[in-house]
Parts: sequence; structure tokens; C-alpha cells
Amino acid sequence: MIARVNFLPDERSHEATRLLPYVMAVMVYLSALALMGSMVLHRSFSEWTEALSNRLTIQITTPDPALREAETADVTRLLQQTPGIDFIHRLNKVEIENLLEPWLGEGNVTSDLPLPVMIDVTVSRTMAVNLDALRGMMAGISENIHLDDHQQWLGRFVKLMDAVEYTALGVLSLVVMATVCIVIFGTKAGMAENRETISIMHHLGAEDSMIARAFQRRFMRYGLKGGAIGLVLAFITLVSLMSLSRAMMAGLVRLPDMPVAEGAVLLVIPLLAALLCMVTARITVMRGLNRMV
Amino acid sequence: MIHFENVGMRYGMGSEVLKDISFNLKPGSLHFLTGSSGAGKTSLLKLMYLAHRPSRGKITMFREDVENAARRDLPRLRRRIGVVFQDFRLLDHLTAVENVALPLWLSGGKGTEIEQHVEELLAWVGLKDRMKSRPPVLSGGEKQRVAIARAVIKRPDLLLADEPTGNVDPAIAKRIMHLFVELNKLGTTTVIATHDMEMVKRAGAARMHLHKGRLHLLDPGDSDFREEETEAGEFGGIRLDQKEYGPKIYGPKIYGANENEEGGGV
Ligand SMILES: Nc1ncnc2c1ncn2[C@@H]1O[C@H](COP(=O)(O)OP(=O)(O)OP(=O)(O)O)[C@@H](O)[C@H]1O
Ligand SMILES: [Mg+2]
Repeated sequence: MIARVNFLPDERSHEATRLLPYVMAVMVYLSALALMGSMVLHRSFSEWTEALSNRLTIQITTPDPALREAETADVTRLLQQTPGIDFIHRLNKVEIENLLEPWLGEGNVTSDLPLPVMIDVTVSRTMAVNLDALRGMMAGISENIHLDDHQQWLGRFVKLMDAVEYTALGVLSLVVMATVCIVIFGTKAGMAENRETISIMHHLGAEDSMIARAFQRRFMRYGLKGGAIGLVLAFITLVSLMSLSRAMMAGLVRLPDMPVAEGAVLLVIPLLAALLCMVTARITVMRGLNRMV
Repeated sequence: MIHFENVGMRYGMGSEVLKDISFNLKPGSLHFLTGSSGAGKTSLLKLMYLAHRPSRGKITMFREDVENAARRDLPRLRRRIGVVFQDFRLLDHLTAVENVALPLWLSGGKGTEIEQHVEELLAWVGLKDRMKSRPPVLSGGEKQRVAIARAVIKRPDLLLADEPTGNVDPAIAKRIMHLFVELNKLGTTTVIATHDMEMVKRAGAARMHLHKGRLHLLDPGDSDFREEETEAGEFGGIRLDQKEYGPKIYGPKIYGANENEEGGGV
């Protein structure tokens, strides 16, 4: 019954640190959002990049329909002769209309709207295609032929992706710093509140590490408790955000599902939070005690 | 055991409350520490229970120099000392049993053994019905007895008691003195600060007297007792519980009186 005496008073009576779990919940919530958000975006970016990296799009915008068809035949022949090109697909009217629909609205693509010829080209992933040469030869056929290898797009994507990830990292480190500060503050308040108890324990011959352990345990529990609350809130937020955006963006871009494997990593956050609290509390207590007699 | 050499002590930047204190306590000795209020009794005990560092001089305890001992060496030494604080210093959120169990728990004792031992001792100091009470609901005398039980439970090498009988009635006081004397017979070096001159006289032990921060050592024979002496009370005639205690796991029996001993014939 008194196998293990908890010499610190019950947690509920702790004015100084009672609210700490809720602060921890906010911290874990923010870090989970930052992490999860960057994971989802990372996923999307890599899927888009992947999808675009071996694709070329050729547009032939010659206004005259007969000439346009002749040029299309020339380009097709040229592509067929070029080594490293796996697949050529000329988009039909319906497909082009589908592409335009999100921008123009359903049924707004009238028959007199001049549509360019669009050719979707899939390039072999194993063999490099000399794009400059291809461009040169196409320019020879007509100046109305545009070859888009999406590099500009991809370049911007990569930059955006980096920016998003650095931001997430920044948010994370700020949250960690804030957490450490709060735990230090809370530990000091807790020590001040229990000054007499600590002093009595010292006089009875308690080691500093034993006193530190009592605080460590308490702050670890705060971290776990707050972490669990924060994580649940973060999951709710993410799931609702995902379904909202999926409903809104349907058809425009395909949003990836919640990355399950990476998502599991989030479960570790409360544990890390608990560990962070524990270590911070220990260091703070040991330092504080060192200043006592 | 304890050796003080020209020790001075001050609080913060204040003037010295103890000056040139030199003495030597032999292992197993029993001393009373007297002096008027504010003379520095508690201060001297604080130096001995390592709660305060001297401002000068040299202190040797348990054959170790302690005036400059590293912080990490103190807990080990403190665990060899039992202290009855003048203001008790019990943990308010723990029960009497838990408070008394703390020293055993700190040196790694195990649950049920501790509990049995602690409950016996508490019963012996007359707190059988108060085991599960917390200090805030105990009377001064009850708190004092809990504090005493906590100090002696581990049979310390050194027992320092600061006015241990200040809040209890004469019968309990005798019982407590008997406890201290029995403990002392088993080898615990004991220093008891007190105002109770009658008790000092009866006990006939050596006496350390503090006056204006200086220490005077007096033999039992010295009749330097002051006017504050109380009426000669009966001491030494109490009958103790003759209860046979269970196996003593933390040292030999210390508080059950001997069959033929007429309680505390000090
Ligand atoms: N924490 C403190 N800070 C400053 N001065 C103190 C402190 N404690 C005690 N003193 C002073 O030290 C002197 C000795 O006090 P101490 O408590 O040792 O006396 P005492 O002999 O135990 O008295 P009493 O019999 O009333 O308990 C007193 O003058 C007191 O004012
Ligand atoms: Mg005093």
C-alpha cells in the first residue's frame, strides 16, 4: 500500500502546471498539422511530377483546318521516326473539351471555337530524347507547332514543394522551442510550489535525481495526455479538410489519399512530446536543485 | 563522530549567530542542548543535519569533512541522521504512516514490511487511531510524535531532536525520552535540544549550553541550571507497553521496553 510513496502532492492540486496538458495539446496539434500537411503536399507534388516527367504535349495552332491536318500528319511521321518515343496519342474533340470544361464550364465549348490539335507524347524512361533537335525539326514544319515538356511547370513545382517543406519545418521547430520554454516555465513553477516538500525530502536524504524523477514522471504524463488530445484533434481536422478539398477540386486535379504509412508516423508525436517534456523537466529540475543548499 | 572546530555560522549577510563553536561528540553519546530562545540551538542542529554550511571553521561527521562536501555527497550522509524538526516538517498530503515510512522508502525498503514496522511504532507513540490522518488534521503534539517516529524509524547513527517534547503532555514526554534513551543505548549518538530543565536534570546526561552564540559544555554534575527549571516532575516511572513486537527488520528492537526495566530509568 505504501510500496511507492508519491511525495509530490496530487496533480489536481497543482495550480502551476494543471493547464499544461492543454498547452501541450495545442503544440502537438500544430506540429501534427504542419507535418501532415507537408506530407500530403509532398505526395501530391511527387505524383504530379512523376506523371509529367515523361510526357510531352504538342500543340498545333495553325488556324487553317486543312493546313493544320497536313502539319499534324508531318509531325506524327516525324515523331514515329524519332527513337525513344513510346507512345503517341492525338486527343480527340471530346478529350479536349473535357480538358477545357473546368475553365469554361460545361457545354460552353461551341463548335465554332477554334480548337488546336493536341498530341500527347509519352517518352521512354530509359532513352533520352534530344528535345532541342525535335524542336528544330518541328519548327521546320511550321512555326505554329509548340512543344511543351512541362519543365517550367516542374521547376516551379519543385520550388513550391521546397518552400512548403521548409515552412513546415520552421513551424515545427518553433513549436518545439515554444514547448521547451513552456515546460521549463511549468517545471520552475512546480518546483516553487513544492519548495517545502523538496527541501524536506532533501533533509531526509533524497537524491536530486529522485526528486527530478518525480517531476519527470509528471511532465511525461502531461506530454502524453496533451499529445493524445492534440493528435485526435489534428486527425479530425485533416480528415475534414481532405474531404472538403476533394469535393471542391474534383476533376481539376487528383488529390492523393491520406498517406497511411506516413500518417502512422504522427502517432509517434505524442511520444516525442512526452519525451521532450520529460527531458526538459529533468534538466530544469537538476539545474534548479543545484542552486539549492 | 561529530567534530566541530572553531565553527561560525551566519544567515546570509547577517552577523554570526554561532561563534567559535568547538566540540567533539563521541559515538553513542547522549547530549542535551540548552539555551534560551534565540540562542542558536536550531542553528547548531542545522549545521549538524547538513542543512546549512558554516561560514567558517571545520566540521567532521562520520569521519568525513562536511563543511565543503560536494552536494552529491550530502544525501548519503543525511540518510544516516534522524531529525526531529522543531516545526516538524511533515508532508501535508501524506498520511502519518506514509510520512513515517519516507526514510525507509528512501533507503529502498519494501511495502508491507515497512508498513507493519511503521504502524507498530506509531501505535507505540500513541497514534494508533491516527495512522491514516494527514498532518493538517493532527494536533501539535500528534504531529510532533509523527515527526519523532519518522526520525527514529530507521535507527539512525545520529539523532538530532529539536524540542521533541515541547508539545506533548508529561506522560508522553517520558515515553518519548525513554525511546531516545533506548535508541541511544543501541548506539545512536543523540543530541536533544530542549527547554525542559527538569528532563535534563533527570536524565543526567552531558549538556551543551548555548549562550549568545557561544557554546559551553557542562557535565551532568554541574548545577548550572537556571531559574526556568520547572517543578521536579516524575520522570522515569512510566510503565511501557509490554507488547512483544514482531521480527525487527530494520534493526534490533528499539522501542519495546525490557520486561524488568521500570521504563526509562535514565
Ligand atoms: N532563517 C534565518 N534567517 C536569519 N536569521 C535567523 C534564521 N533562523 C534563525 N535566525 C536567527 O538566528 C538566531 C538563532 O536562532 P535559532 O533558531 O537557532 O534559535 P533557537 O535557540 O533554536 O531558539 P528557540 O529556542 O526559540 O527555537 C536568532 O537570533 C534568530 O533570529
Ligand atoms: Mg529552535
